[in-house]
Amino acid sequence: MSNHPLLEVKDLTTSFFTSRGEVQAVRGVSFDVSPGEIVGIVGESGSGKSITCMSILRLLKSNGRVVAGQAHFEGQDLLKLAEHDMRKLRGDDIAMIFQDPMTSLNPTLTVGEQIIETIIAHRGSSRKAARQRAIELFELVKIPEAASRLNSYPHEFSGGMRQRVMIAIALCCDPKLLIADEPTTALDVTIQRQILLLLKEIQARLGMAIILITHDLGVIAEVADRILVMYGGMVMETGSVDTVFARPNHPYTQGLLTSVPKLRTAHKERLRPIPGSPPDMLRPPVGCPFAPRCLRAMQICVGEVPPIFEMGDQQTHKAKCWLHHPDAPTNDEGAA
Amino acid sequence: MSGIHIKNLNVSYGNTTVTHDVSLDVSVGESLALVGESGSGKSTVLKAIAGLATNWTGDIEVDGIARGRSIDPEIATKCQMVFQDPYGSLHPRKTIDATLSEPLQIHGIKDQSARVIEQLENVQLDERYRFRFPHQLSGGQRQRVAIARALMLGPRFLLLDEPTSALDVSVQAEILNLLKRIRKEQNLTYLVVTHNLAVVSFLCDRLAVMRSGKIVETADVSQLKSNQLAHAYSKELLQASRLHSGSNEKTPHNDHAQ
Repeated sequence: MSNHPLLEVKDLTTSFFTSRGEVQAVRGVSFDVSPGEIVGIVGESGSGKSITCMSILRLLKSNGRVVAGQAHFEGQDLLKLAEHDMRKLRGDDIAMIFQDPMTSLNPTLTVGEQIIETIIAHRGSSRKAARQRAIELFELVKIPEAASRLNSYPHEFSGGMRQRVMIAIALCCDPKLLIADEPTTALDVTIQRQILLLLKEIQARLGMAIILITHDLGVIAEVADRILVMYGGMVMETGSVDTVFARPNHPYTQGLLTSVPKLRTAHKERLRPIPGSPPDMLRPPVGCPFAPRCLRAMQICVGEVPPIFEMGDQQTHKAKCWLHHPDAPTNDEGAA
Repeated sequence: MSGIHIKNLNVSYGNTTVTHDVSLDVSVGESLALVGESGSGKSTVLKAIAGLATNWTGDIEVDGIARGRSIDPEIATKCQMVFQDPYGSLHPRKTIDATLSEPLQIHGIKDQSARVIEQLENVQLDERYRFRFPHQLSGGQRQRVAIARALMLGPRFLLLDEPTSALDVSVQAEILNLLKRIRKEQNLTYLVVTHNLAVVSFLCDRLAVMRSGKIVETADVSQLKSNQLAHAYSKELLQASRLHSGSNEKTPHNDHAQ
């Protein structure tokens, strides 16, 4: 979209080398994130969505390795950066928040201590200035009585408030990119919504880009501009949120959307689950990873990984599916 | 009186009282949902009925039998529980067969093998999984085992504590369909704890909204669907769920999928 994407990931391939063999967690993922954009990555457990982001940040466990690919952030390849420079970048330019705010905060320190420590480490400011900045950040994430709450310990906060603290810490250094990995999964629906709205509001105010990782389509629909649907370590479909939800063009996306129960689901109705189970990434299928579960799979789907096809409606809407090959049976036949 | 009847239930953990005068009636064949935020006491109510939380005052009656604080084999045969996390609720060193046979052994029931096979069939789990261990099964398959285990003694009531929230969306649908089918086939009564209102509208007839250990509203599912909940908190919950499941509103074309 923009001429200069903030982050440009190309053919990212990450594997874990275990005693049972090579687990191919991410297999050639490409996407970019423009400044100020919210990109949602959706996928089920094991689809590679978190590993994609961990690879970019180089926070993989010791048995994991990026086998191939590039991740350019403002022109420099993060995967080639010296560890020293990478450390500076993490937290400074790219910040991350995780699913469980309880385990990502140190229970024995006050939250003020933790946020001030971060500001001093990255900005080298005086303690007094750092404290002032911490109060501003707490106000930004709408923690009431910011100044006095700095002296509280994590256990004195509710789950939602703790996640606000995490967001405040992530925003310490005005990052250009915030990676949020399932930021609301551990929270109640009502609180979940508050946090999502907060993220969106902060994004609009500060203009940073956000990558939002989630298994929840509803979360994406609410806040993201663009969506990446991942399955079996690959991006299956991508496009603007409105287009993908309105006209899903990959059988997997379609399956996901129809399998979710809706508030208005009639009582007599049955849900339509996706039959089968996700692939074993120790031995991923040769062709399309979704082919074994796909109701519209053709012979070619089993043998060859499909290329990415651009959808007619919008240039940014793409699907990795053989059904969009000119020689494939038309949509009408398949949908019948 | 048949059904589950709870009157003025106050459950405590240590010195903290978690539920305050909860009264609830679930009639036979009905499916009632308990919804509310974490810590509102909904799972605690289930645990008290199942006999897992024993420090309570009030009355609990299951199918005409008043529940005491101790283990009650008769209530166990009538009322069973399915837990949220199928990874944590199955014994990792017991085969599926051993897990499913255990309730039969405890209650001294014969022809265990036939009953195990019958239940595996009932939850649509292939017989080849019978002698496997939980770690060899997917999350959805494990939850099927957990449901089969709950059904081994032929109960009439199932207490379901967030039965699908640990599962991936595509698998969640299978389990919800399964729960709906067996309820219909065996005329079971469900008491379901969930925070997902879409699951309520799919699986239940009525719902009770809990907050801070109290029931603030009970309503019919039709009221939920037509947005006619009365209590302020129920409304907030519904609004959050509705916007939150924005995907529903944004998928006018998804009917032609599949």
